[in-house]
Amino acid sequence: MATENPASFLDPALDRTSIAPEGAVDRDQLVTWYRTMRLARTCDEKLGALYRQGKIVGAVYLAVGQEAICTGVVSLLQPDDYFSTVARGLAGWFLRGVEPRHVIARWLGRDVPPSHGRELGLFLADIEHHGIAPYHNGSMASWIPSGAGFALAFKVRKQPRVYVAFTGDGATSPGDFYEGLNFAAIHKLPLVVIVENNCFAYSTGNAAQMPVENVADRAPAFNIPADVAFGNDIFEVRRVAKRAIDHARAGKGPYLVEFKTFRTRGHGEHDDMGYVDAGLREFWERRDPLRLFSEYLAGAGGLGEAAVRAIDDECAASIEEAVAWAEAQPAPAPETVTDRLFAP
Amino acid sequence: MAVITYLDAISQALRDEMRRDENVIVLGEDIAVFGGAFKVTRGFLEEFGADRIIDTPISESGFTGAACGAAVEGLRPVVEFQFADFIACAFDQIVNYAAKNYYRWGIPMPVVFRGPSGGGFRGGPYHSQNPEAWFTHVPGLKVVQPSTPYDAKGLLVAAIRDNNPVVYLEHKHLYRRIKEEVPEDDYVVPIGVADVKRPGTDLTIVTYGATVHESLAVAERLSREGAECEVVDLRSLSPLDRDAFLTSVRKTARALVVHEAHLTGGFGGEVAAIIAEEAFDVLDAPVTRVAALDVPSPFAAPLEDAMLPTEEKIYTAARDVLEY
Repeated sequence: MATENPASFLDPALDRTSIAPEGAVDRDQLVTWYRTMRLARTCDEKLGALYRQGKIVGAVYLAVGQEAICTGVVSLLQPDDYFSTVARGLAGWFLRGVEPRHVIARWLGRDVPPSHGRELGLFLADIEHHGIAPYHNGSMASWIPSGAGFALAFKVRKQPRVYVAFTGDGATSPGDFYEGLNFAAIHKLPLVVIVENNCFAYSTGNAAQMPVENVADRAPAFNIPADVAFGNDIFEVRRVAKRAIDHARAGKGPYLVEFKTFRTRGHGEHDDMGYVDAGLREFWERRDPLRLFSEYLAGAGGLGEAAVRAIDDECAASIEEAVAWAEAQPAPAPETVTDRLFAP
Repeated sequence: MAVITYLDAISQALRDEMRRDENVIVLGEDIAVFGGAFKVTRGFLEEFGADRIIDTPISESGFTGAACGAAVEGLRPVVEFQFADFIACAFDQIVNYAAKNYYRWGIPMPVVFRGPSGGGFRGGPYHSQNPEAWFTHVPGLKVVQPSTPYDAKGLLVAAIRDNNPVVYLEHKHLYRRIKEEVPEDDYVVPIGVADVKRPGTDLTIVTYGATVHESLAVAERLSREGAECEVVDLRSLSPLDRDAFLTSVRKTARALVVHEAHLTGGFGGEVAAIIAEEAFDVLDAPVTRVAALDVPSPFAAPLEDAMLPTEEKIYTAARDVLEY
């Protein structure tokens, strides 16, 4: 495929090849965010390997390239706020205390809570322990309405909580995107919709999905504010998402944020990405969120190269342990298949 | 006890539950200011306020999904579909979200989907359907369909208090036509329990919803002719009270299955299959079904009457089974 002009990949006003926070950031926080993103990246790379080895059957869907968005957004949430995301938000799960070993065990179909082998590792809902709300997958738009419902419950009970629904560019075409945001906007519900625009809905590019340049251009239909920002910069993600979360928490209604990013692996690991232009890949590889963050930390961030490598090594060891634990978990017993259909 | 209509019984159940539990809210089109297309929620806005009686935009999937989310968070939403036909627009939220949530995550979702269903009043293709079989095919949903004011009230109370999604189909043609004495007090008709609406020894008619009344009329007519029909009203389709109709069939040795929904893929096929599997040895006649023809609900009276399982069709089929 012909390499296109890089300027056509991303609005130059949003583009950057190095990152830095606006003010001083606590060093422990920096380390926490970086470790979370690295843990997700390492976990995903391992999941890809397990898939290729035939240990994960079915399919596996990774988040590689999108780690900064969920990390930045979830880092801003209060403990009683909820969010929902598929495994493209793996780092967000980790930041909320989900353990890699449990994620890996679910991908392996093991008998671990809360799904006990009924759901693949792509999904996770665990309100009690992590504030991760249940959603489903008619499309990734399906949980905009249910997110509005959680937000409605917060509002009816006069609780200053917010609900963050992570979704993708492809999910802004189904009706649920409109129906959910319309309802939330009418009732000024504390719903933040984070759209990770990773350029492709499976194999179908933005231009074949929507007649607008940005997903955020759809927001005027709901009379809600919307921003477009560069999603591979953890600092920018936090800066922009904070505005959205503060707005929703203040009772001003929903807010839409579109983060431009890129999925550097296939839709799933079965996908060879033959539809991706080589220039586009190269462009985003230079803007990989882990690369940008580690370069900052090793340099101006003051952590130093060795400390960054130490975190990377620690993550690698931790994922190896997690895999060993996950593989040792039992498979669910066949006789449990009819259990837990109805709540008591 | 006061004599009230089927419609009033539904309204009473909803109002009582809203008074009893502040977590009960209602969402739907034109239910607040207008009191609902059929006036089930007339006066509710004034009593409960706009936070609990919510007029929604025309967006069934949107407000159904919202109800599901609110239910997980501890509210007990009742969704009113203006007509059960429009539930098709919310299908994904019901069958993929509500139905599967507990099985996937162990997180309860107490939500009720009220669908005014059924034909017989010239509503045409989009205001007459009986969609129960769309939902009985989906594990994780409870599906109920009351035929009387007493059952309508008791089943709605049970549905609202249930910790699972319940599809509650109320037949519009029964709304103002069917009246009976209903206790003003709080009571529950348990989900999953059928009711023998008329005892008999010669033929079991297994039915539910509107055709309970046609079946009772047929039973009355056959009684005058010397045959006693037992009319088993399923009331709940999911979970299904198999023992109720199997016990009856073992007594009568003959079974007629009647419903207003279409024949092919209709719930009656499931009932007939269960009888064939479990009670084949006692049968003296083939299990027979009477249902709507497999065409969309037509508007013009001669067409709709030709399509519906009328009393005459039930009577003829019952005679055939009795005389086999």
